[in-house]
Amino acid sequence: MESRILKPLLGVYLGLFILFLYGPFIVLTILSFQAGPDGGPQFPIIEWSTYWYRHLFGMTEVTRVAPLRLGEALFRSLTLAFMTMVTATVLGVISAQAFRKRFKGSNVVFYLIVLGMMVPGVLTGLGISLLSTELGITRTWWGTAFVAHVVYTFPFAFLVMLAIFNRFDPSIEEASWSLGVSPIRTFRKITLPFVFPGVLSSMLFAFTLSYDEFPRTLFAGGSDLTLPRTIYATFAVEIHPNIFAFGVLTTLFSFSLLAVFGILMYLSTRRAKKLASQEDI
Amino acid sequence: MTETSTASGAAGTLPRQKTDSTAWLLITPGVIWMTLFLVAPILMILYVSFWTQTTFAINPTPTLESWRDFFTSQTYMNALWTTVRIWLIVLAATLLVGYPAALFIGIFVRSRILSISLLIVCVIPFWTSFLIRVLAWRPMLGREGAINILLQKFGITSAPIDALLFSELSVVIGMTQIYVVFMVGPIAFMLSRIDRNVIEAARDLGAGFGRIFTRIILPLSLPGVVVGAIFVSVMVLGEFATSAALSGRQVNLLGNIIVTQVGSLKWAFASVVGVVLTVIIGIVIAMLLRVVDLKREL
Amino acid sequence: MSVSQETETRSGADSVLRLDGIVKRYDDVVALDGVTLTVSGNEYVSLLGPSGSGKTSLLRVIAGFERPEAGRVHFRGADVTDVSPHQRGIGFVFQNFALFPHMSVLKNVTYGLVNADEGAVSAEVAERRARAMLEMVGLSGLESRGVDQISGGQKQRVALARTLVKEPQLVLLDEPLGALDANLRARMRNELRTIRKELGVTFLHVTGSESEALAMGDRVAVLDRGRVLQFGAPGTVYDAPSTPNVARFLNRYNLFAGSLHPDGGFEGPFGKVAAPRVQPADEALYGIRYDRVTVEPENTAADAPALHATFRASEYLGSSVIYFFETDAGKIVESEHHMSLGTPPEYRAGARYTLRWKPEHAIVFG
Repeated sequence: MESRILKPLLGVYLGLFILFLYGPFIVLTILSFQAGPDGGPQFPIIEWSTYWYRHLFGMTEVTRVAPLRLGEALFRSLTLAFMTMVTATVLGVISAQAFRKRFKGSNVVFYLIVLGMMVPGVLTGLGISLLSTELGITRTWWGTAFVAHVVYTFPFAFLVMLAIFNRFDPSIEEASWSLGVSPIRTFRKITLPFVFPGVLSSMLFAFTLSYDEFPRTLFAGGSDLTLPRTIYATFAVEIHPNIFAFGVLTTLFSFSLLAVFGILMYLSTRRAKKLASQEDI
Repeated sequence: MTETSTASGAAGTLPRQKTDSTAWLLITPGVIWMTLFLVAPILMILYVSFWTQTTFAINPTPTLESWRDFFTSQTYMNALWTTVRIWLIVLAATLLVGYPAALFIGIFVRSRILSISLLIVCVIPFWTSFLIRVLAWRPMLGREGAINILLQKFGITSAPIDALLFSELSVVIGMTQIYVVFMVGPIAFMLSRIDRNVIEAARDLGAGFGRIFTRIILPLSLPGVVVGAIFVSVMVLGEFATSAALSGRQVNLLGNIIVTQVGSLKWAFASVVGVVLTVIIGIVIAMLLRVVDLKREL
Repeated sequence: MSVSQETETRSGADSVLRLDGIVKRYDDVVALDGVTLTVSGNEYVSLLGPSGSGKTSLLRVIAGFERPEAGRVHFRGADVTDVSPHQRGIGFVFQNFALFPHMSVLKNVTYGLVNADEGAVSAEVAERRARAMLEMVGLSGLESRGVDQISGGQKQRVALARTLVKEPQLVLLDEPLGALDANLRARMRNELRTIRKELGVTFLHVTGSESEALAMGDRVAVLDRGRVLQFGAPGTVYDAPSTPNVARFLNRYNLFAGSLHPDGGFEGPFGKVAAPRVQPADEALYGIRYDRVTVEPENTAADAPALHATFRASEYLGSSVIYFFETDAGKIVESEHHMSLGTPPEYRAGARYTLRWKPEHAIVFG
């Protein structure tokens, strides 16, 4: 059988593929332990050290390598991501709810919303900065950049919820009504347990996309930098392993975020699983 | 029209209008948001592209000056061509690199949990900041980078290859690695939806893998390819950070031009480039959507 | 029997459901075109209609899931047209069962008792009543199962128990047996009738199967293109379909096109014959039920009506056999032989026979 050869072959390929995806990050992690302050962002490793991690937190002597100003940027990025997450998820849920029944103009509205993730960040950013300049609105991360972030993340939340509602059989809600249960209680008891994983996914999407968003923020974010813009600022100058150390730390932070999401997801589906396994008792 | 139907339906209720109005009530916030902060800004770009550009400012006197500048300048026409070329190369590269991986995950992995886990493994790098992931290619591809060290260690090359970094190649490699997952995900999703029984039945009828692939797997995965291609195209066409970080100013995409023009306050000119980019993306998406109805595939 | 007597008196007394000129449109498609129907207490009504006849729309309007463009729905003497589904107290059993997938069998049944807006009961009472109801539908012992761990027939019973435990006076069943396999379908037919009788509740059962409708309903309503064509006892509908379409849906009539003469005779493929029973209708049609057609060797002295035809095939249905004949004009004519009348005769494929019936058995439209 050909697939006997093909399967292991593709398996090996997948291994290489994953190496391709992770390779740069592995190298970056190794180099983040480069000696400082004279070790550069390349091989060989002069000496293993945590110098650049300490450098990030201002725990080293002042050298010619300027410290990254991360504290405020981190605060801004997290706040912005949180604001975006709440707004985009609310918009996504109510819009998808509207789409459960076909209405006049639903096709146009669908493409209008999806446009938000289709239009590249440079264009949204440029457009919003042109418009705000013309209207005399000062560009800020919590104002102009925030609305741009929602334009970008709302479509993701919307599509996730749409997919969830598509799989949801409306006759289950009708069955609940026909048993004398009010629509509000039905939403809470029947609909919500179903769509909740979708709501969580929407929130995760919106948060991480906004947290890492860069082109829109570059144009529309005003003078106070967010985290990605702080990193982008280093592109123009010589880079040092401190940026690598920073990359490792933000990744760890993202994973802890992911873990929180995973736990919430587990808790929300556990009830259903518990029921399913009751038979064994 | 609404008036007459209200009158004729006066005897009973008007459910159709009623569901429409509740739907519109729910959809209105989203529509307003997208109109104000997406449609209006894009129309603004179009509008400003016809404004007059002075040294440090723009004024609304209509002119075609910026448009003429764009289409007569060799530099900008080169950027246009480079953008299209890089897009096509990266699109092909993500498809070629991604399809076999998706094939394995979607078809050959029998356990659903394992295939989801593998997809998650592919997505995990996304939780590293995009810009950090771009930067990470520098110590990979540089003259003293990991790849050159490995190549020399295994005796494949005797001297380091300079062309790896700060070239079009490094931009293509970087973009492929960053965007390939957007190709793998949709394809693997479509492949996993293929009914195994269909493949088994074809096998029982004596069809070889090649035939099963071209007759069943490939056509059924096509919507995934198109969705992936839309993702990759939109992102690559709007790119500027990867080329800024990895090309050492060798590769100038339309996105880079917008950034530099805005940096030097040439708003009108940046807008022209923005409109050109919008048109290109519009054409690409329209072409891809002719192949598959995105709404139905969800 | 006393039970049937009781049924008779009750059905005469009070009407549980009264539909008055219900009109329902979807965009330009008219699903219900003025449906008027009265259903009594404690009876089993089958609603027979082909797909697209509007039968599901009608149930959804009665339940309150859809609002009619015109017409009123009266339930227990009150106009409920503008009442929300959850305040109507009408049970609904879905074709796909629509069980709550994240709940156990028991929870599915107690759900409506515990969460109802009006008349909610304590968890203990709900559980006691749910267990009793599950026992009645034969699901004892499966209370803690998840609903994805039971068979189709069991799901059907959970759906039924969940609805019946609320003690509604009217239960709407939307093709409740459609998702079951043939064996189970036959068994559930009996069970549905038994359960209904025991609880004295009214069932309005929608089906596309004429045999199901005739077998189960105390009365049968035939729906076509959004209109009720006939509403009566199964025997009446079966013996005397009121329109050509009712005769068609019953799937038990050989129907011949032709013309009705003013003198009362009908001219069809079998020549001009007497038509003692004529129903006024838009089209001229001659119908003779399968089991009224007798088969004789060809060329027996033919007093009309009779047809010469070639035997093609037969189909064994358990309680009867259906024989298919083809006339010289290429029309298939069927004859049914009931097993209760003795061993079914055998015919030779390709041989010619004469089909004959009594004129008074035919029903003529025109």
